[in-house]
Amino acid sequence: MSTLAGRPVEDYTAKDYKSELKPIWCPGCGDFGVVQAIYRALANVGRAPHEIAFVSGIGCSSRIPGYTTAYGFNSVHGRALPIAQGIKLANPDLLVLCAGGDGDGFSIGGGHVAHAIRRNIDITYIVMDNQIYGLTKGQLSPTSRRGLPTASSALGSMESPVNPLLYVLGYGAEFVAQGTPADMNGLATIIEEGIRYPGFAFINVQSPCVTYGQEDQMLKAQKATMQTLASINHDPANRLAAMDLAQAYGEKLYTGVFYRRPEPTPTFERLARERQEAQRPLVKGRADVLNVFRLKKP
Amino acid sequence: MNTDLVIGMAGSGGDGIVAAGESLLTAAALEGYHGVLTKSFGPQIRGGESSFKLRLCTRKVLNSGGSLDIAVALNWEDFLKFGGELPVGGRTTVIYDSNTRVAPDAIPLVGVTPAEVLAVPIEEMARETGGSDRAKNTVVLGLMSGWLGIGREEVVAGIRKRLSKKGAEVVERAEKAFHAGFEYAGRHPLSSDRLMAEPPQTGAKFVVDGNDLCAAAAIVAGCDFFSGYPITPSSEIMHFLGREIWKYGGTMLQAEDEIAGIGAVVGASFAGKKAMTATSGPGMSLKTEMLGLASIAELPLVCVNVQRGGPSTGIPTKGEQSDLLQAAFSAHGDVIRPILAPVSAEDMFPITIEAFNLAEYYQTPVIVLSDQEVGQRKETAEPIDAGAIRLVERRRPAEKELEHYARFRFTETGISPISHPGMKGGNYLASGIEHNELGAPTANGEMHSRMNEKRLRKFAPLKDRRDLFITEGHADAPLGLISWGSVAGIAIEAFQLAVKQGIRVKLLVPRLLYPVSEQVYQEFFASITRGLVVEQNHQSQLFRLIRMFVDVPRGIETLAKSGSNPITPDEVADRLRQISLALQRDTQQAPSEG
Repeated sequence: MSTLAGRPVEDYTAKDYKSELKPIWCPGCGDFGVVQAIYRALANVGRAPHEIAFVSGIGCSSRIPGYTTAYGFNSVHGRALPIAQGIKLANPDLLVLCAGGDGDGFSIGGGHVAHAIRRNIDITYIVMDNQIYGLTKGQLSPTSRRGLPTASSALGSMESPVNPLLYVLGYGAEFVAQGTPADMNGLATIIEEGIRYPGFAFINVQSPCVTYGQEDQMLKAQKATMQTLASINHDPANRLAAMDLAQAYGEKLYTGVFYRRPEPTPTFERLARERQEAQRPLVKGRADVLNVFRLKKP
Repeated sequence: MNTDLVIGMAGSGGDGIVAAGESLLTAAALEGYHGVLTKSFGPQIRGGESSFKLRLCTRKVLNSGGSLDIAVALNWEDFLKFGGELPVGGRTTVIYDSNTRVAPDAIPLVGVTPAEVLAVPIEEMARETGGSDRAKNTVVLGLMSGWLGIGREEVVAGIRKRLSKKGAEVVERAEKAFHAGFEYAGRHPLSSDRLMAEPPQTGAKFVVDGNDLCAAAAIVAGCDFFSGYPITPSSEIMHFLGREIWKYGGTMLQAEDEIAGIGAVVGASFAGKKAMTATSGPGMSLKTEMLGLASIAELPLVCVNVQRGGPSTGIPTKGEQSDLLQAAFSAHGDVIRPILAPVSAEDMFPITIEAFNLAEYYQTPVIVLSDQEVGQRKETAEPIDAGAIRLVERRRPAEKELEHYARFRFTETGISPISHPGMKGGNYLASGIEHNELGAPTANGEMHSRMNEKRLRKFAPLKDRRDLFITEGHADAPLGLISWGSVAGIAIEAFQLAVKQGIRVKLLVPRLLYPVSEQVYQEFFASITRGLVVEQNHQSQLFRLIRMFVDVPRGIETLAKSGSNPITPDEVADRLRQISLALQRDTQQAPSEG
């Protein structure tokens, strides 16, 4: 790490973000592509690894912070977002990334996504969506398609999948994109755009599970069917059009930016800083807080 | 003349009961008296029953006392709902609103003959002078001020201050209502003497309540981040910090749930800031996984549990000490999380500071076990000297240590220097998964054992913190009294009563409840053959916790009551007297047995 000292930011390369830990992922796992795309996006953004905090939950994909040289936090299942928000609010100067799987983000931790969005804290949240629970060996996930037989649904799923894209658009997310390791350049670009967006950015990545996934989810199949949103002239400033396209989730793989709010709302941390600056002159030191308990003659 | 007086008042939610209690306490405190004001409510938001119990004293007291000297019932239905919380006895002066149309000899108090019963036209006076029945509380303030001989100027000044925003007319009416009550008291002297003796020369300087003081202490301790979720009876901590923390450069986040509340605190601590969350029983249950995460990731944080009746929703508005075992054994795995408990609202200050110090030093979550009584009661307090506070910061890596930094390095103390994002060279992976010294995940049994050993060993010095135990009485006393938390304030007074009666008793109040300090208890038990453990829960949780770690003398009894069932100093002193008699019998029998 110390070899990075004093280097100009533009000199960072993808390698500077790659740690020495060897991934535990299955050979061919889509997550290998995701972590490569993150290295490239970070190199383009050019922040020093020690100024980056990378938080995840639990699952195969949540191992990802350990494979970077950033400050990582491989936390508990479903709770990456609250931890990431605490980090960003405690130190808004950090670049904060958050990642996890579809189970982490839309099942056990589903309740946190809406609130991270409405606070608009500047975090980039990357969900590696593989429609299956891989780490626990192949059970139904919240994005598994109806009828899917899995370890926990031997006779087929009786539930409809969550649509992550519509879900976050519905909650008012200001940056919503989808990518796939089948298109590494496109994926690295949208991650970089997400990081650069001044607010909460959501990126759904169709990252196939080579062990428990379906044939039509594999990278080869994705390459054959995917379509970039640019190629159909989608205007990312148009939220309703984005929602319309997002309805195709599970049937048609669109990649690129679904929605980018043209005028970002102020982030929570910016408002917090403004409030701190406005309130700070009211006191001289921390002991002043005790004055409210002092008995004063009315 | 009285040096110690207990007043209880009940009515319905809109009657301004608590405001009246607070006015009286503030006015008395301004004159130099000490006091404790407890509040108790029904579950309703508006219109439910509401009460206060105010003890005024010429010396510092740690509880709101036993039987009432003066009971005020604005209506009987609400008064009776408080049962033992507003105990009427043979020495009580009972005052009630004559609009209840109950004859003084027919008041609905079963099995007790009060010293004096007075029907007072409280509502009538309120309507005539204040213009509406909303001035009933102000009429009562006038009555109390007249009969107790305190606070006339202070109460009126307080009324003016409190109502000034509502316009001159409102203030004028309130003053009239106060004077109506005051003059009524003058025309109708009580048969029992209820006048307060002269206040002490060096009176109280502060009036505090546990929740607000906890929040203020956090700011003094350097807390820069708070996140929590609204829950009774702890929300005042969040309210206070939501107003104040920004002035000191901090941030308050009202989280979407209890888990996110502590999750954000874990994140803020990872980012290098002192951070706190607060909750009550159900929230504590939800937070336990995060407590485990903070333990294995060795991240400092303070988690305050303002206990209420449990299990589950239990009794949200009333205190109980039934979360001790949960606090000690919450979350899975082999862990120790220090638990501190304040004995009074005033004690919340040093306890909260200590919680931050322990959290930062040991890199651990620390649980503060407050309760509704301590959290929401108001009491007079000595001035707090923030300049005398010693603050501890987490051990950060020196530049040289960052050259080959290992976040979880095995050290002699078990405490490893901790970096945070932004610190160059300190980059590491924090995790809930077991890890090696570098932070890399591992499933190796030997590494797991060594890490567990490190994470437990680091707490060893904590057990020697004798300053976190209150001990009183002769070291060789054969009778021991143990209590903790808000109930300790009652036990301490009972101990003093017993000593006055010549009983050879000693007292132990742990403010550090976990890890259990075997040595402190063993030393205390060394001279003891009989004793009493007093606590506000059904299972005698502290007694059971101590027994897990220490051989307890067989003659130790428990006085344990579920929440909302008050324990009084007299009651504890009576038990001590009985146990003392049993002790005397023991020693008389002993020779014949030999």
